[in-house]
Order: sequence, then C-alpha cells, then structure tokens
Amino acid sequence: MQNAPNRIRVTEYLDVDIDQEKWLCNRCNRDLGSARENYKKGCLVYDRDPREIHPPIVTGAFSFSPDPLWVRIVEFYCPGCGTQVETEYLPPGHPITRDIEIDLDALKARLQNGEFTIRAQRLEVPE
Amino acid sequence: MPIPTTKEKLAWLKPAPATQHEKECAAKVAQGDYEIGIQITNDILDEAMEVFVRASRSYFGVSGDSMVAIFTANGDLINASCGTYLHAIIQPIVIKFIHKYFSENPGIKDGDIWYTNDALYGGIHNPDQVALMPVFHQGKLIAWASAALHTTETGAIEPGGMPVSAKSRFEEGLNLPPIKIGENFEIRNDFLEFYSVYGLRAPAMFISDLRARCTTADRVRIRLIELADKRGSDFVVGLLRKMCDVAEEGARKKIRALPDGTYKSVVFNDAIGWTPALVRACHLTLTKKGDNLIFDFEGTSPENPSSYNVHPQAVVGHIANFFYEYLFHDLPICSTTFASIDFKFPEGIILNPGKMAATSCCVFIGMQARCATHNVFAKMAFSTEGLWRQIAAAPGSQHTSQICAGLSQWKLAVADVLSFSLNSMGQGGRASTDGMDAYGFAWCAFGRAPDSEQVESELPITVTLSQHWKDSCGHGLHRGGSGGVQHWMIHKMPDLVSMCMGNGSKVPLGQPLFGGYASAPIPGISIRKADLMARMQRGDATVTLDNRAILEETSIHGNWNYELVARTPKVYDEGDLLFGFSGGGPGYGDPLERDPEELLEDLKKNIISDWTAKSIYKIAYDPEKHKVDIEKTKQQRDEERRARLTRGKTFEEFEKAWNQTSPPPEILQWYGRWPDAKSLGPIFRP
Repeated sequence: MQNAPNRIRVTEYLDVDIDQEKWLCNRCNRDLGSARENYKKGCLVYDRDPREIHPPIVTGAFSFSPDPLWVRIVEFYCPGCGTQVETEYLPPGHPITRDIEIDLDALKARLQNGEFTIRAQRLEVPE
Repeated sequence: MPIPTTKEKLAWLKPAPATQHEKECAAKVAQGDYEIGIQITNDILDEAMEVFVRASRSYFGVSGDSMVAIFTANGDLINASCGTYLHAIIQPIVIKFIHKYFSENPGIKDGDIWYTNDALYGGIHNPDQVALMPVFHQGKLIAWASAALHTTETGAIEPGGMPVSAKSRFEEGLNLPPIKIGENFEIRNDFLEFYSVYGLRAPAMFISDLRARCTTADRVRIRLIELADKRGSDFVVGLLRKMCDVAEEGARKKIRALPDGTYKSVVFNDAIGWTPALVRACHLTLTKKGDNLIFDFEGTSPENPSSYNVHPQAVVGHIANFFYEYLFHDLPICSTTFASIDFKFPEGIILNPGKMAATSCCVFIGMQARCATHNVFAKMAFSTEGLWRQIAAAPGSQHTSQICAGLSQWKLAVADVLSFSLNSMGQGGRASTDGMDAYGFAWCAFGRAPDSEQVESELPITVTLSQHWKDSCGHGLHRGGSGGVQHWMIHKMPDLVSMCMGNGSKVPLGQPLFGGYASAPIPGISIRKADLMARMQRGDATVTLDNRAILEETSIHGNWNYELVARTPKVYDEGDLLFGFSGGGPGYGDPLERDPEELLEDLKKNIISDWTAKSIYKIAYDPEKHKVDIEKTKQQRDEERRARLTRGKTFEEFEKAWNQTSPPPEILQWYGRWPDAKSLGPIFRP
C-alpha cells in the first residue's frame, strides 16, 4: 500500500491516501479514517499523568514535574500497531486540537495540473 | 500624532511598492554586480556587528543578542546581521512612523540619531532599544541604518528591565517613543544627562550600550556612503530594491510549495508575573492558500494586569525568529519575505493588549506564539520534499532569567542578567536528527553563553558548576537538545538583590512533535545560608559538584527554597546559592523508536538517567559494559506497544470521560472563560 501512487506522508506516522481520502498509519497501514475528518478520531487515546514521564526529582509543589491538575499528556496510538502517533499537553478537559485539515480538493487539483508531483511519498515542485 | 494602532503597525510591516526611480535603478544593476552588492551589504553588517559586540557593556550585548540592519529610504528592511531575528521584520514600523509624523518637525536630516524603546511604537519591550540613522548621499536620503540591543535596566519598579510585578506600563520605567537624540553625528549631552539621572540603577552600563548602538549604526552609514561614493547612489538604491524583489520571489516560492490547508496549535503558560495562573498563551490557526499565510490568534486568552502581555508586532518578531532560523534560513533578512504573510489579532487578547498594558515580560508570552508556529509548520511541511528537513520541535524556552543588582566587587553599580541559562537552551528534536544540546537562546539563536571568568569579575558571584542538566530534554525518536544548569554563589560582596523572570514551572512550554514528549518544567531554587563556600574554603573532599546529585541528596546544606521560577526581588547574602536552568528542547517522534545505541551515548554523556532509558525508552542494557540487549529491548518495546492498545480508549470513550474534567477554578482567574478563553470583562490597571 505504501507504493500507492497518490499516498503522501503528512507526519512521521501519518500518511494520506489522496485518491481514497483516507488517513493511514505509516508504520502498519492501518486505516485511521476519513482524511476530511480529524485523524485523532481514528486513534486510541490515553490520558497520561505527566509525572509518569517527567518524574519529580525533589519533593513539593515545584519538583521538575508538571502539575497533573494543570496539565495532562494526551497520547494518541495507532490501533493497529500501538505506535504513538501524536501527543498533546493539555489542561484536563481542554478540547482536543484538530491540528491538520489539508485542502484535499486543492491538493488534487495541483497534482492534476502538474504543480506538484509525488516522489518517495512527498510533494515535489517540478523545476 | 496618535500612538499607532495595531492596524497601522501591521500595514507598516508590508513593504512599500517600488517607486519608478527604484525600478529604473534596479534594472541597471547587472548580474555579477548584484551578487557582489549583496555580499558587500553582508560584509558591512558583519563588520558593524563585530563593532557592536565589542562596544556593548551589558551581557545581552556581549552575548550578541542584537541586530544590525540596513533599510531602504522609505524604511523597508533589506538585510541584517543577527544576533536575534526578533527585531528584523518589525523595525520598519519605527522608521515609517518617523517619516509620517516627524518629517516636517523636527525633520529628518543628515547626521540625525534617532532612538526608541517603546513597544507601543513598534518595538518588542522596553529593554530592547534601537538607534537609527538616516543615510544621506549628496543631500539625498538613500537608506537607513540601525542597531538594536537588549539592555537589562530601564528604571522600572524592579531591577533588570523586566519587572515581574508591573501591572501597567507606568511601572516599567523608561518608555521612549521615537525621538531624535543626536544631530550632526553627535549624541546630545542633554539627552545623555537625562538618561543617566532618569532613575537607572546602572547608568554606566546603560550609557555604554546606548553609545554602542549609535556607533554601530553610524559604521553602517559610513560604509553605505563609501559604497555610494564608489558606485553611485543609484547603484545603492537599485541594489536595495533588487534585493527586496528577489527575496520576495524566494519567500513566495517556498510558501507555494506547501499544501493548502488549515493547521492549528495551542500552547499554555503557567504564570502571569510572579503569580501562578493558567493562560492559553497562544491559540493559533494558520491558513495557507497559494502563496499566502494567515496567522489568526482568535481563541487566545485575554490580556491581564501583569507584564506578561505582548503587543502584536512583537508577536510577529517572535514568529520571524522561527522563520529565519528554519523556513527562510537561506533567504536574506528582508521585509519582502513577509509580504505574503498576514496576521489577525483580535482586540484585547494577551497578544494584543490595550495601550496601558505592561509588556516588559512580553517575551515569555510571545515565545508561545513561536512554539505554536513550530507545530503548525511541521504539520504543513512534512509532506514536502523541499522543506521537511527544516522541521523541528519548539526550542526549550523555559529558563531561569535571573537578575543581579547591587555593587560589584569593584564597587560599581550593576543590574544585569545571568545569561548562561538563557544562551544554553536545547533545540527541539528535528525531523532528521536530535535537537542540538545547549544550542543557544530561543530568542536569539546566535547568542553565546558568556565567559564565566568575565561574569565572576563583573558580578558579585562565583559560578560553582556549569553542565548539561540530566533529563531536561523532551524524549522521542529524536530527542530534544539538553538544557544547561549553572549554580551561582554570592561572593566577594556582603549581599545583592536578585529577582527572576520566567515561566514553565508547572506546565512544560512548547508542544512536542509527532508522538514525542515535552521537556521538563523548571522550579526556582535557592539555598540560603549554604555551607558550600565554607566547605570549598577548607578543601572538603566530600563536596559534589554534580547538579543531579546535589538535588537528590541535598548534599549542600542550608535553607532550601523551591518556588515558581518567576520571583520578586529579594536580598541574598554572601554564600547563598542560586540555581539557573535552561530548558531542554521538546522531543520528536515515538520514544520506542529511538535507536538503543544512541541511548547509550545519551547515558554516557549524562543527558538522560538510567530511569529514563529503562522506563521511557524501554531498553534493556548492561550499565557496566554499556551493551544493549537487543532481543530483550525488542521484547520490552513490543510489550509496551501492546499495553498501549490495552489502555487506549476509542476517541468517543475518551472524550466522554475527558469532558467531565477541568482544571481547578482558582488557576483559571486570568484564563478567560473555560475552555474557549473568551474575555470575562475589562481588567483594572493602576
């Protein structure tokens, strides 16, 4: 599938198949949902106490650890292979960010008119 | 003569259209002459920067946190030597203001020296001061030259130019709109006298830096006149114009090569002044279409009654720092590179406060706009063959910005910053490799940590250790660069006054990238009545000068204090110890994919701890032989991936539980309405 002609890398772990308009895991090809939606909806999500990653070095309120009442680590995993696709440091309950909305129609048009070509899963502007 | 509005300032960022004369002059600049001409401007600026660093007195100046620049006659930037890119795109605002309001009275004349430090008129914050000189050739204005530098004293209510207690601009000391401080190539003595008695704690340092700015701008002016004498003023005008045109074409080409779309990032801050408070410091929506970028900051927390607000052009300055370090690293530092970039700042947000707002600590908020820019750019550019290697997580911007004020061992008045912990931050993890350890200053990539011997000579302190700070970096496939740590012992004077600016004690600053982790927060740490000096004086062999061991074992005895990193001024006595940290860079990518051999190197270099190697990266190794057990590491990492699949919830399940949570209300006083950060009403400023 990674040889699909119109598949490009969007992040280290996230590809988009432009023809099928699908998010795919770069590591295991798992379908992560419609590329017109937030890819995070296709991931497994975990609310991590930040002290598990940044453990306190000293005791007290200021300890080199984030305060778990102020901030959490939201981890997004590929449900196919368990790769940690993305993380966000957010206050508890803060809305999850829809960080990527590629204009697929514009991208298709630019590929079609030759403004972009795809080489090794990346967009290239022909000289 | 109004204070310029946000709309006016943003309009002045845009380059002026070429005049007919400029077009004609540019058309005459031949190939070869053009390339040589660019190099001549580089040489002029680099020479002037050398003059600047050598002539400056304050540690920011010595560290090179400065910029020397050349502008067209109408004020558009065409090239600069940096230093910091903070001032690069925004200084045209000052020149265009002078042109608009002061052309007739007092007039713009050959030999003028103009000066300003007021963020309302286009600067960053009032410690950042700039001298500007018009360049006249045979009676005709052909260019401007400038020299900008941060000086750590402004006569504010606290020493050091960045008062954490200021609630309005009236508590921030000197705020000087653009003013003519010199005529006929001489600084006016009445102005120097005014400055030296204004209420500055270290007037000698202040005046030395002021003179350094003026002499540096004048060196640029002299060299441009020499060029005009040699090649004619039309060549200079044509060269500058052509540089504008070529730079604009280069920037538009880069932006066009990115996929159209909308990209978002949100970054938080955990303090306003010395008060712990959660604010949504930057809520950025970047829309990219064709060769146009629009930065929209709707959704950012409202302004607040502290000095942690930032005027809009200073936000642009922080974003320029990102652009010239990464996306535009190979383009000239020129106004036209931002010609196709637009900004939307809603009124009354922390990034566009009212005119009376204090903004002297604006950099701690402005940096969050830069951090957010790293993330939106990464998500926009990873798909492109030409630009993906320029992707990096945000720099490690949390740090101890410690001010020392009092008398030096030579009985000279000092009020300066201990800049090691500024200039040794970790770079964010990059798409192709790790972030650089102690790469520089997040506000000034080329800043240099000062020489410790010089610091010990000029300030009443002894530097007892300087080293990488273990586990400061954000973890990931490509880890962030390590931050640094210094310990400062008050020495050779009975006492000094010290305060600290900063943020990042409760919440890590800067989001990581693509599954990495952010870097560690930093507390404010001091030890009063520390026994270290006495033990060093008697040659105590049990003294350990390893930061981590000192922290874990409390091996220096005394009264330890752990606080928010931002602290109001306090008196410290000889022998007391202050800790200075620079932040590590956030990480890039899933830590389980990091090469175990690289982790062994990290362990050898004391960048990470054994706990981190085993618990975060899940490697199995023999710490004695420094050998990785490949099979067991694979097994442990596979187990962790399976554990993720077990503990992870579907998005819907997660949101259902997540939406029931929120931060404690007492930390949201300055956030705005939860969670959308809308203003809850006007604020009071004294």
